[in-house]
Amino acid sequence: MSFRIERFTPASRATAIVALIALAFLVAAPWLTGRANIRLLGEMFSFLALASLWNLLAGYCGLVSVGQQAFVGFGGYMLFALAIFLGFDPLLAIPVAGLLGAVLAIPVGTLLFRLQGAYFAIGSWVFAEVLRLSFAQVSSLGGGSGASLPTSVVTGIASNREWREILIYWTGLALAVAVLLIVIALLRSKLGLALTGLRDSEIASESLGVNSWLTKMTVYVSVAGLTTMIGSFIFLQKLRISPDAAFSVNDWTAYVIFIAVIGGIGTIEGPIIGTIIFFLLRETLADLGTTYLLVLGALAILVMLKAPRGVWGLISERSRISLVPVRRQVRFD
Amino acid sequence: MRFVTTGTGGISRRTFMRAAGTALAAPAILHMTRAYAATPTIKVGHVSPTTGPLAGFAEANDYILKGIAKSLSSIDNNGKSWTVEIISKDSQSNPNRAAEVAADLILKDEVDIIVAASTPDTVNPVSDQAEVNGMPCITTDCPWQPYFFGRNGKPDQGFESTYHFFWGLEDVIASFLALWDHPGVAKKVGGLFPNDADGNAWGDPERGFPKPLKDAGYTLSDTGRYQPMSDDFSAQISAFKAAGVEIVAGNMIPPDFATFWSQAGQQGLKPRIVTIGKALLFPSVIASLGERGIGLSSEIWWSPNHPYASSLTGETSRQLAEGYQNATSRPWTQPIGFKHALFEVVADVVRRADDLDDPAAIIEAIRATAMKTIVGPVDWSRGPVKNVTKTPLVAGQWQSTGGKAELIITTNKTAPDIPVGGELKLL
Repeated sequence: MSFRIERFTPASRATAIVALIALAFLVAAPWLTGRANIRLLGEMFSFLALASLWNLLAGYCGLVSVGQQAFVGFGGYMLFALAIFLGFDPLLAIPVAGLLGAVLAIPVGTLLFRLQGAYFAIGSWVFAEVLRLSFAQVSSLGGGSGASLPTSVVTGIASNREWREILIYWTGLALAVAVLLIVIALLRSKLGLALTGLRDSEIASESLGVNSWLTKMTVYVSVAGLTTMIGSFIFLQKLRISPDAAFSVNDWTAYVIFIAVIGGIGTIEGPIIGTIIFFLLRETLADLGTTYLLVLGALAILVMLKAPRGVWGLISERSRISLVPVRRQVRFD
Repeated sequence: MRFVTTGTGGISRRTFMRAAGTALAAPAILHMTRAYAATPTIKVGHVSPTTGPLAGFAEANDYILKGIAKSLSSIDNNGKSWTVEIISKDSQSNPNRAAEVAADLILKDEVDIIVAASTPDTVNPVSDQAEVNGMPCITTDCPWQPYFFGRNGKPDQGFESTYHFFWGLEDVIASFLALWDHPGVAKKVGGLFPNDADGNAWGDPERGFPKPLKDAGYTLSDTGRYQPMSDDFSAQISAFKAAGVEIVAGNMIPPDFATFWSQAGQQGLKPRIVTIGKALLFPSVIASLGERGIGLSSEIWWSPNHPYASSLTGETSRQLAEGYQNATSRPWTQPIGFKHALFEVVADVVRRADDLDDPAAIIEAIRATAMKTIVGPVDWSRGPVKNVTKTPLVAGQWQSTGGKAELIITTNKTAPDIPVGGELKLL
C-alpha cells in the first residue's frame, strides 16, 4: 500500500493566496478607508495578536494564564519610560520593550512553572497584581495617578498627522502578522510537535525524550516578549496609562480569553474569527452599557456549553477543512 | 430583464448601487452643504461614566439632556440657526474605554466639539485624545491640578485645544480650613489620601494639603498613600489616636470611607470633624452609613441654594434640582449642576464661534468664553493657569432635617455670594 504525507491541502493553498491578497489590502488600507476604520483595525490587530498568543499558551501548551495583562501593562509602562526618560522614538521603543518583557519572563516563568493547572492560573494573576501595585509606587511614571504620553513624543513620530497615523497603523499590522507567522512557524517546527505531545500527555511525552520544562519555558518567554510589544503598541494608541488601565484583567485577559474561546481554542483560525465576532458585538452593542457585558457573558456560556471547540471547531468538524497547514496528514493512494 | 435577486428580502443590483453611491458620497455632500442647509447641525461628542463605580456622577445625564434639548435645537450663529446634536458615550468608568470612545467620537462620528465630565479617569484620557487630534474639548467635574499636571501641563504653555472648568485644591483647602474654624476643636488633622490621581494630588507636599495646613497652624498626621479598596485602616487609626487627631480629612472613594469609618468606630477613634472629599458627595452613600452618616462634612461645588441661574433655560439652581427630584424621585446631587453648565458653555461657544466649520475658530471661541452659568462664572481669561478656569467652592455638613440627611452649607468664606444654610455641629 502506498501512502504519502501531506501538509498542504488545496484549502490551505487557497488560504495562503487569499491571505496574501487580504494583506495587500490591509497594507493599502490607509488610502482605501477613513481614519476611524484605520484606528479600529489597529485595535483589532492588537486583540488578534493577544488572542493568538494566549491561544498558543493555553490551547497548545496547556498553560492557562489569566495574568497576561502583566506583560501588556509592563509593555505600556516600558514604552512610556523609554520614550519619556531615554528619549526613544516610540516605534523603536516597542521592540526594546519586547526584549525587556522576555527577560522579565525568565525569572517569573521559573517561579510559576512550579505551579500546576489552576494554581498556575492564579499564580500568573498574582504576578500581574504584584506588577500593578509596584508600578503604582513609581511616582516618576505618575504612580497611582497615571501619566500621559507627552504630545511631543507622539507628534515626533512623523512630520504630519496622516503619516503618523499610517506609521502607527502599519506597526500594528506588522505586529499582528509577525505574531501569526511566528505562531504558525513554531507549531510546524519540532517544538510544535513537542508541544502537541505535552498538551495531550506530559508524562508520555517526557518518556519519549521531550524536555517539558525547557519547551514550556521557550514558549512562555516568547509569548511574554511578544505580548509586551503588543502592550506597548496598545498604549501608544491610548496615549495615557495608569496602573488600573495597564494591568486591567478585564481588558487584556478576560476579553482575550473570550475571543479565543468563541473562535475556537487550540486552532490558528479560532482567534481570527473570535476577534471579528468580538468587534462586531462591540461596535453594535457597546452603547447598551451593562446589557452589552451581559450579552458577552451569555454568549460565552452558550458557546462553551454547545460548542466547546468554538465557532471554528464547529466549522472544521463539519467540513474537515484546515486552512492553516500545521498538521501532517497521511494519505493512502 | 430584471435585476432582482431571489427571495423577498433581496436587493436589486441597481438599488444597491444607488444606495452605495449615496452612502459613499454622503460625507462629501454633507460637508459641502452643511453651512447652507436649512438648519445645519453641529455635533458634540459627550463622554461620561454611566456604568461602573463612577456611575453616580452621570446619573442625571438623561434628565439634563432632555431639559436642554429644546434650547439646543436652534442656536443662532452669525445670523443662521444651528442644531446641536449630542452623541453620548459611556466610559464604563474605565480610562481605557474612555480613550477608545473619545477616539471613536473624533474619528468615526466626526464630532465638532468633544466634552467630558467626572473624575480624572474620564476627563484626562478624553482630553489627551482631543489634544493629539486638535479637537476642541471642554471638560469639568475634576479638580484642575490632576487634570493639568496629570497631563504634563506647563503653566505658561497650557494646551492647544483642551479646556477645563472646575475648582482646585487651593479652593478645597481654603474651604475646609474655613469649615474647621471652630473654637472647640484642636488643630490636629489626620490625612487619608489614596494612591490614585485625586489622592496623590491632595496629599502632594507642595501643591496639596500638607503645606497650607502647616501655614495655618495645623499639625497633619499623614501615614502615606494607601492602596484604594483597602480593607484595613488600623495603621492609620492608631496613628491618628496616638497623635490626638480631632479632625479627619482626605479624599476617598465611598467604599474605602465606609471601611475606614466603621473600623474607626470599632477601634475608638472619635474625631470631632470628618471632612472627606469625593466620598461624601452622594446622598445614597450617606444613607448607607445610617446614623453615623449624619455630621460628616464635605466640599460643596453646587447646591440648590447657589444663587445662580442657567444661561440656557433661565432655570435657577433650585428649579433645576427640584425638577430633577420630581422627574426621578431621587435626591439632587452636585454633578447635576456641572453637567448642565457643561452644555451651557457648549451652547455659548456655538453661538459665538466665527466659523463653526473651523476647529481653530471653535477653540478661539472657547478661549474667549466669559459667561455666567448655573455653577458660577466661566471665564478662561481668569484662570490660575492657561486652559483652566475656576468655579466657586464652599463646604458644608450632612445634617438631619425631618429624618432625612440634607447637605447644609456651613461656611461661605471662600464664596460670600453663596448663602450659608446653618452652623457646623461637632460630632
